Amino acid sequence: MTTLITGGSKCGKSRYAERILDNYLGNKLYIATMKPYGKEAYIAIERHRKMRDGKGFVTVEKYTDIHEIPLTDNCAVILECIGNLCANEMFCDNKIIDPTEKIVNGVYRLSCIAKKMVIVTNQVGSDGIYYSEGTAKYIHILGEINQRISEFSDNVIECVYGIPILQKGVLL
Amino acid sequence: MILITGGAAQGKQKFAMEYLGLTKIVDGSDCDFSEIKNIECITNYHTIVKRLINENINAVEFTKKFCMENQNAAVIICEVGSGIVPIEKNEREWREIVGRCGCIIAERSDTVIRMICGIPTVIKGELL
Repeated sequence: MTTLITGGSKCGKSRYAERILDNYLGNKLYIATMKPYGKEAYIAIERHRKMRDGKGFVTVEKYTDIHEIPLTDNCAVILECIGNLCANEMFCDNKIIDPTEKIVNGVYRLSCIAKKMVIVTNQVGSDGIYYSEGTAKYIHILGEINQRISEFSDNVIECVYGIPILQKGVLL
Repeated sequence: MILITGGAAQGKQKFAMEYLGLTKIVDGSDCDFSEIKNIECITNYHTIVKRLINENINAVEFTKKFCMENQNAAVIICEVGSGIVPIEKNEREWREIVGRCGCIIAERSDTVIRMICGIPTVIKGELL
C-alpha cells in the first residue's frame, strides 16, 4: 500500500506519516533526503530524529539516487521528502537537470517492494510569487512529480495544521 | 461557467483537457482581451489580470463583463494568495485583484474544482 502525504511547510506531515506506521510490526525504514547543510538543517533533522525516537525506525540518509536503496519484502518505509530529493537531483554542479523520470521511477520501485510505503512531499506553488527561472522550474517539476506519484498511490492525504484531508483512497 | 483552481503545477490544465475534453484553450498571458468573450476555456487567468492592470484596465469590471458575456466558459486560475503579503505595491495590488476576480468567477460558476497533486476536488456544485 502506497500513501502520499502533502501539504505546506510545518503542517504535521511527518507526524502523520509516522502515525500510519505506529502499529507496523515488521522492519521500519526512514529514508531521509535532506542534506545536513547549515545550522537550520541540523536543527530540523534533530527535531525529526527526536520525534522518531523509540518508534523502531532505522534511518537511511540518501540525498539522491533513492532507487539504489536495498529493501526487504516485509518492510515499511517513510520517504521524506520529495521536495528535498527533487532539489538535490535538480541542482548539482551548477547545472539544472530534470529529474522527473528518475525520481518517479525510483519511488515507484520502492513502492513495489515495500509492504507499506509512505511518501512525504511538499506544496510550494500557491504563493503567487514570480520566481527566477531555476526556482520557477523547481516549482513546476515538483508539481509534476507529485502528480505522477499521486497517480500510482492508493491514498493521497493533504495535511492542514495536522488535520488530514483525504484527497484519494482512505484515511489511515 | 466552470472554475478550476489550485496552486501552480497541480494538473489544472490537464484536467480541463482530459476530463472536461476541452481542446481550445487560450492563454491569459498572451491572448487578446477582446477574444475571451467567445472562448471555450482560458488558462492563467491570474496572468490576464496582471496584463489588464498594466494597461490600466479595471480587471474586476472586465471580469464581471466576461462572466456575463461568456456564461459557458471554463476558467483556470492559480491560487496565488497563500504566501506573505508582498512588500511591493504592484504585486500586492495584483494579488488582491486576482483574489477578487476569482471570487467573482466562482460566484457565477456552477462548478468549482480545486486541484492538488493531479486530484480534483469539487468545492462547489457538481461535475456533470
